[in-house]
Amino acid sequence: MEILLFGIINSVTLSLTALGFTLVYSISRLPNFAHGALYVTCGYIVWLCVNTLGWNYAVGIAVGIAATAILGALMYRFVLLRIRGMEISEIIATYALGLAVIEALRWGGLRGSTFTLPSFLAGSVEIGGFAVGNQRLFVLGFGVFVFAALGLFVKFTKTGLALKAIAQDERAAMMLGIDSDRIALFSFALGSGLSAFAAVLILPLGNIVVETGYNVLIYSIAVSIIGGLGSWGGAIVASFLIGFAQILTEVFLSTQYQMVISLLAIIVTLLLKPSGIFGKQKELADRV
Amino acid sequence: MGKGVGKSSGIVLVLALCLGLLPGAATSAERPIVIGAPLATAFLYGWDAERGIRLAVEEINAAGGVNVGGKKRPFAVEVIDTRDLEPGVPVSEALLAVEKLILEKKADFIVGGPVRSEAALAAMDLLGKYKKVSILTTGVLTPAYHKKVEGNYDKYKYCFRITSHVGVMANEFITYLGEVKKGHGFNKVYIMVQDVEHARKGGEFMKKMLSEKGWEVADMKVYPTGTTDFSVGLRDVAQKKADVLFLWMDMPESSILLKQWSTMKLKSLPVGFVNAAEQPGFWKATGGKGEYLIVNLVNGGNAPAKITPWTMQFVKAYQKRWGLEPEGYGTSSSYMAVYTLKEAIEKAGTIESGAVVTALEGVNLMGVYGKIGFDRKSHQVIPSLDPAQGAVTSIVQWQKGKRVQVFPPKTAEGKTLLPPWMK
Repeated sequence: MEILLFGIINSVTLSLTALGFTLVYSISRLPNFAHGALYVTCGYIVWLCVNTLGWNYAVGIAVGIAATAILGALMYRFVLLRIRGMEISEIIATYALGLAVIEALRWGGLRGSTFTLPSFLAGSVEIGGFAVGNQRLFVLGFGVFVFAALGLFVKFTKTGLALKAIAQDERAAMMLGIDSDRIALFSFALGSGLSAFAAVLILPLGNIVVETGYNVLIYSIAVSIIGGLGSWGGAIVASFLIGFAQILTEVFLSTQYQMVISLLAIIVTLLLKPSGIFGKQKELADRV
Repeated sequence: MGKGVGKSSGIVLVLALCLGLLPGAATSAERPIVIGAPLATAFLYGWDAERGIRLAVEEINAAGGVNVGGKKRPFAVEVIDTRDLEPGVPVSEALLAVEKLILEKKADFIVGGPVRSEAALAAMDLLGKYKKVSILTTGVLTPAYHKKVEGNYDKYKYCFRITSHVGVMANEFITYLGEVKKGHGFNKVYIMVQDVEHARKGGEFMKKMLSEKGWEVADMKVYPTGTTDFSVGLRDVAQKKADVLFLWMDMPESSILLKQWSTMKLKSLPVGFVNAAEQPGFWKATGGKGEYLIVNLVNGGNAPAKITPWTMQFVKAYQKRWGLEPEGYGTSSSYMAVYTLKEAIEKAGTIESGAVVTALEGVNLMGVYGKIGFDRKSHQVIPSLDPAQGAVTSIVQWQKGKRVQVFPPKTAEGKTLLPPWMK
């Protein structure tokens, strides 16, 4: 019961943090290494709105998510659009942007461990003899809601279908009149918004520190590689694999190996199935 | 003609004054004594140390400066960010910062860091090479630092440490927990530490010592830096019915652990070295969920307490200058290091390194956290549980939004309280 309960919570939290990264890659084939920085940025914007400007928490959250989505779109429009298709340049540029954002946050005053966001739900409930914080259950419930909402958006809206079309075959989608750059811009904004959404849900559990940006990026990459780069379903399955592996490691081995297990999972996946569980890249045998 | 000469002379005179060419201009202010401070300024142990150093320098300069062989000279501070607490930043960055302070900024003395143990240990060779007297004030909890001085005195005699180390802190915890054991009948402890060198060593030492003192150590868990969920571990603490939850962590995420501890109403008193809980802002950051946590601030004066007459004077001055109470480990020790250096320079009558080393070895100063004096062989500040005998620690408990000193007994201002769900 303990493993099941905390495994699910851990897995959904991982899925939420990785969803934005996977979405951006699946649509625009851009690995957004600034993903973690955007996550922290949103948390700090909300904190500033609530604590410095004295705004309502809900307004602060809306501003934080919108500002992060706009920041992501601006990054695409003014930097990444020019180098799209040059894979190494994309990685270097997004990583550099992420570092710049993180350093800017630090320079802007995000130092120390006293920056926190209030929980949506206080207290805890007992499930099967285990006390679970209400905020964690809220993350679980809202995480499932976000996956469902995103699934419906992609399946039943014109923009969503355009996103799907670009993800499946960019050239064919362009022949059908879909503006690839506009959709990529939108995907970058949506991906950044999703990382912001994850931040406002998860950060109230702890505190806002710039180092979180690196952890979020590492786990997002781990989830994406194991699931198969660009595969949304793969990302969710990989989150559950890593999430449960971490809890099993903690229960049966030792907590200190949690990060090692995640990184080991990447290596094992790359050895056994280089394109990830649901990856569509050609296997080595097909490439040579 | 005469008018023209007068005008030209006036211009030359003004220029000469501006350029400091006249004898009067050159001697009106003595050259400052430059304190180089290599610190990780983006982190608590860096920025609070910088504030402590600057406060002491401002006070000393306002009082006329340092008397060096009959001449009053002011202090000047040069700070360089070592970034040595940031993940992935190599030790060489901190070494570059120290060398830059010495060669480029012409630092006469080094006060503060480097903050990370590995960086500080590596910097000792540089300090020996350039014969620069250094007083370590923050971070660096490894006993290897003063043992290295003791092991090769001639090479490392320029290195002093005015703050505590793991060995002393662990013994303080053992003594404090002995009191808690006696007072509340506790017998079982569960240890949780972060996966970093000083925390692992501290945890192992505590495990060994507590077992020797008759405690039952239920388990010891090591958490990777950045862990954001401690549910499974805390559940284990509850199942094993530990009376005390001993923590040794410097990652900010440790505040999540305390929030979860409070939410789960765990019947284990949290005690330890918890970086996130040192700052005055911790209370607000956790919404009061850190109440009852007992935390070691390493040196007295890092929270308000009446340890010596100077302690509250320092606390008030810090509040006035920086707008908040002393923030945590590194604050009072950095402040005291500057005053200790002043004392040694005045005693030596020169800023020459060899003479200052000898003077520092003989320092006997009643400071913010007790009597400041160094062991002559290892240059480690002499610790004590009595401020009249040596440098004392500050173990505080969060009670109603305040950090109340509960240990050592001679400086305690309150008793250890248990959360209502443990009564």
